[in-house]
Amino acid sequence: MDNSDVILSVQNVNKSFPGVRALTDACITVRKGTVHGVVGENGAGKSTLMKILSGVHTKDSGTIVFDGQTVENTTPIQSIRSGLSIIYQEFNLVNTLTVGENIFLGRYAEMNGMRNIHKNARELLDSIGSKIDTHKMVSDLSAAEKQMVEISKALSFNSKLIIMDEPSSSLTADELKQLFVLIGDLRKKGVTIIYISHKLDEIFELCDTVTIIRDGKVIDTKPIAELTRNEMIAKMIGREIENEYPERPHAAGETIMNVETINTRKLKNIAFELKKGEILGFVGLVGAGRTEIVRAIYGADKAKELKILINGRKVKIKNPRDGMRAGVGLLPEDRKLEGLVLPFSVQANVIMSSLWRISKFGFVNASKEKEIAERQIKSLSIKAPSPHTKVKTLSGGNQQKCIMGRWLEINPDILILDEPTRGIDVGTKYEIYLLIKRIAENGGSVIMISSELPEVLAMSNRVLTICEGRISGEFNPETDSAHTIMDAAIG
Amino acid sequence: MNQNVQAVGGPALKALGKQKAVVAIAIMFIVMIFTDSNFYTPANFSNLLEAVSTNAIIAFGVTLAVICKGCDLSVGSVMAMSGIIAIMLLNSGMHMALAIVIAILSGSVVGFINGFLIVQQKSEAFIITLGMGMLVQGVALLLTNANPVSASNPIFQRIANDNWLGIPNIAAFMIVLGVLTYLLLRFTSFGRNCYALGGDYEVAEHSGINVVRTKWLAFVLTGTFAAVAGVLAASRMNTGLPIAGVEVPLMVNCGVVIGGTSFAGGVGGVPQSFIGIFVMFLLRNCMSMLGIHPYIQQLVLGIMIVSIISLDCYAIKRKKEAV
Amino acid sequence: MTKQPRMGRQAAVDFLMEYLVLFVIVALVIVTAIVEPRFLSAQNFTNLMRQFGPLSFVALGMTFIIVGGFIDLSVPGMISIVAMVTLSLVDVIGELPAMFAGLVLGAALGFVNGTTLMLAGANTQAKALFITFGMSQIYRSLALHLTGGFPMNWGTLFEHPMPVTRALSSGMWGPLSISFWVFLFFLLVLYIFQSKTALGRAITYTGGNLTAAELGGIPTKRVVVFIYTLCGFMVAVGAIVLFSRVSVTVPTVGTFFERDAIMAVVVGGTSLTGGRGNVLRTVMGVSLVILMSNCMNLLGVQTHAQEVVRGAILVLAIWLDHRRHARG
Repeated sequence: MDNSDVILSVQNVNKSFPGVRALTDACITVRKGTVHGVVGENGAGKSTLMKILSGVHTKDSGTIVFDGQTVENTTPIQSIRSGLSIIYQEFNLVNTLTVGENIFLGRYAEMNGMRNIHKNARELLDSIGSKIDTHKMVSDLSAAEKQMVEISKALSFNSKLIIMDEPSSSLTADELKQLFVLIGDLRKKGVTIIYISHKLDEIFELCDTVTIIRDGKVIDTKPIAELTRNEMIAKMIGREIENEYPERPHAAGETIMNVETINTRKLKNIAFELKKGEILGFVGLVGAGRTEIVRAIYGADKAKELKILINGRKVKIKNPRDGMRAGVGLLPEDRKLEGLVLPFSVQANVIMSSLWRISKFGFVNASKEKEIAERQIKSLSIKAPSPHTKVKTLSGGNQQKCIMGRWLEINPDILILDEPTRGIDVGTKYEIYLLIKRIAENGGSVIMISSELPEVLAMSNRVLTICEGRISGEFNPETDSAHTIMDAAIG
Repeated sequence: MNQNVQAVGGPALKALGKQKAVVAIAIMFIVMIFTDSNFYTPANFSNLLEAVSTNAIIAFGVTLAVICKGCDLSVGSVMAMSGIIAIMLLNSGMHMALAIVIAILSGSVVGFINGFLIVQQKSEAFIITLGMGMLVQGVALLLTNANPVSASNPIFQRIANDNWLGIPNIAAFMIVLGVLTYLLLRFTSFGRNCYALGGDYEVAEHSGINVVRTKWLAFVLTGTFAAVAGVLAASRMNTGLPIAGVEVPLMVNCGVVIGGTSFAGGVGGVPQSFIGIFVMFLLRNCMSMLGIHPYIQQLVLGIMIVSIISLDCYAIKRKKEAV
Repeated sequence: MTKQPRMGRQAAVDFLMEYLVLFVIVALVIVTAIVEPRFLSAQNFTNLMRQFGPLSFVALGMTFIIVGGFIDLSVPGMISIVAMVTLSLVDVIGELPAMFAGLVLGAALGFVNGTTLMLAGANTQAKALFITFGMSQIYRSLALHLTGGFPMNWGTLFEHPMPVTRALSSGMWGPLSISFWVFLFFLLVLYIFQSKTALGRAITYTGGNLTAAELGGIPTKRVVVFIYTLCGFMVAVGAIVLFSRVSVTVPTVGTFFERDAIMAVVVGGTSLTGGRGNVLRTVMGVSLVILMSNCMNLLGVQTHAQEVVRGAILVLAIWLDHRRHARG
């Protein structure tokens, strides 16, 4: 292969986090002046790879050659200065500073004062056809404008390679068109772009080459012309659904919950039904509004309008306790920040929601407390030396089981699981699937959110796709193909 | 974001958040026209300016800490200690300039230790500075045996009390320090970096800013400013008082927030802090000019602190919910 | 092979850190007893017991605030207003009803604190610090207004004999002073409350992780209002014991109580980050603070040097707490 036009070469890069193998022998070659697409499901390893490139993480092994230079231990600022910029989905900007200052953040002395900063920022923004006032606060900008600022910032370092992580996730159709034009211009100027996205339409419209990543491995790199949409989806989803999942239960009965409408700033007229004994899957991109829907149902977030019937009766849910009382349970998305009290024991975390149920005249019944903890540790086979082990010392899977145990003890009619298997090893995942199945078979209803499509499809009786704050479709995962469902979810 | 804030009934809150202090000042000045008091006399203005000065100097330093998303509650004790050190060294026969420099450096040392514990060791700023304040207070008491000390050298008194072109010296010091701090925050990398790391510590760090050194330096300067204020206060009264208490630092920190420098970090500045301190002292001045009982004055100030800080919290909360 | 001894040492360090106060107390007692035998006299014991006064009650209340992840600086104002109101009510409604009214007032002020914080959405320690400071100003100015700023003297001002106050001041029951019995009573009740009741546990959850507790169905807002109310009540108890001791009460009587109470709680090993600690630890903290000043007095350390030592110990305790938190 002719190496003269290769800007970035990644060879056999490995990276592990405690308990998770994030990247295995990843190899990517990116050619100068191309738009290189990277696709893959959430958690496939795309962001890990990008964070290694940008110096946020250090690789365990492998070689990276950028612009003819071998890159060893780099820091974010070194990597930017060497000409490799990354634009994250959640922008890397200081909200309380002006546009100009953000573009030249940390380079005040270099730029010789504020006047020069604004002058140069103006020139950069003009060069990409943006009219944002450089004196405006970043907190007052729209997502599209923030993106322009990020691009200008990248250009201010004379970047040769710009990585864009899900750049379209918060843009309107018009803004997206403008972004495409801009990317085209940059390519003409010789800037290489790595474009990470879920949205296959964008990949096909924009990219020259595409790399597909799955489970921390690079599955394929091909010129876009040699791939069809179907092939790409097949490679993204990968493995056929084998013995990874238990047989799904078929216990759906009559309607238990009828969500008539939910309206918030983000959600628009959400309405659906949930049946007794049913497992309902929510499919959608991160940020599409999946989590917001369930949080509103549970009372964790305030909603403008919330009309829910449970068992035919209208319920008022204003806070999580109302949600619990109405028979809803939520396993939150971020188990460490929202689910567990990390320095506390397994027992304390398991009994948290049962506190008042096992109390008489306000006094906690210590033997019942112990009983609950032991019962849940046993029935969920939580691997902890004793009920008094601190949860922060447990593995992710066992931590998740502690929260599951908390809810199983209360046994809510409706259990909502938001990313129940994120960051959990395969063995424990299967145990959690069995648990979900058991709940449904015992007449409980489950709403399951997951970014891993195969998992939702294998477990659910019914799937709702959520796109940009709306429900965009309803599917039967047994008859409808993964392809169709994914299509509806990515809009 | 803008839209979000508006949708929750925010315009009033936002406008209030930006201009509440200025509006309050204007109202007070107007009201005082119609009252039969000595408010509009040069003597009163000079009094007011003098009262504001020392606190404003402390506030300029605290502004640095608050912009860096910290706060400093040891400033009251530092102020007491530095005044005492200056006078005691002076009384022991040391050259005045040297005595003052050492006194001011003592504040820098406290600031340095604060910075070490907060930035290096990642302790919670407000609680560790509360503790440091107590320690420094002890030093002040130990040095003086809890008795006020007076300077024997009459020149010392003149530092703060003389006039310069009709402006009381102490006010001139405040103006000079205020302008210097303003320039520092506005036109140096250090100042800009303070805003950056206060606004988003991680982004600032990733952008290659030496966040630890910058924030540390901010705390050193906060201590230094408090010490300068202490020397000036001691000179003005020609006495060093060992008891400072927790009131001064909390009042100053509140004043800074009233001016619009938020605990959320990354915003605010010298003019805002000055306005915040000014409005508090103007209010006190107006109340005493109107003959309002001191206890009621304290009550009004307390209510003002509670409502302003609550409003600050409430605005942050609404913003969070809206996103 | 190399790991085992390291882990053993780690465990030893952890153990030492955990019971640091206890070791310090024991060491202090031994050293002082050797250097100054008067330390072990019966008179000094009575003296020590007497010092277990108002501060210990305030510190008990403050424990719950800090375990819940908050802080309360309104203590001085609350002490002033409760002491002054109770004293002025004595000749109107009698001694015991006045004390009862004082306790209700303390709880009510605490309730106001907690409610204000929750309405404003002040969910961090720093915000609570400033708001409760403002509250303290309000309460104190009300106390000053109420009394016109004059000191009150229960010994001579009233016609009532005030037997309860006198008993609290100097009464003995068996080997211990009556105020110490009262302290033991509250200690026992609060210890049981914290470790055995649902509400007591809820406080720990709230301090451990406010978001997780809220999502786990703990009524965190009510918990916060409750801990402030409880603290207000304990402060009122402290205020009553305080005025029984000093006989002449000035409206600024509560100064520095918030600081010393926070110090006692933190020195005892209750974490300022919330969720960790209990009243027994606070007793250790209060004991250390009292013992230390007693020892330093006996050893002839100058009063103001003692202030420096106290400040240094507070900073050290906070620093150690943060180290512990950062490591674990």
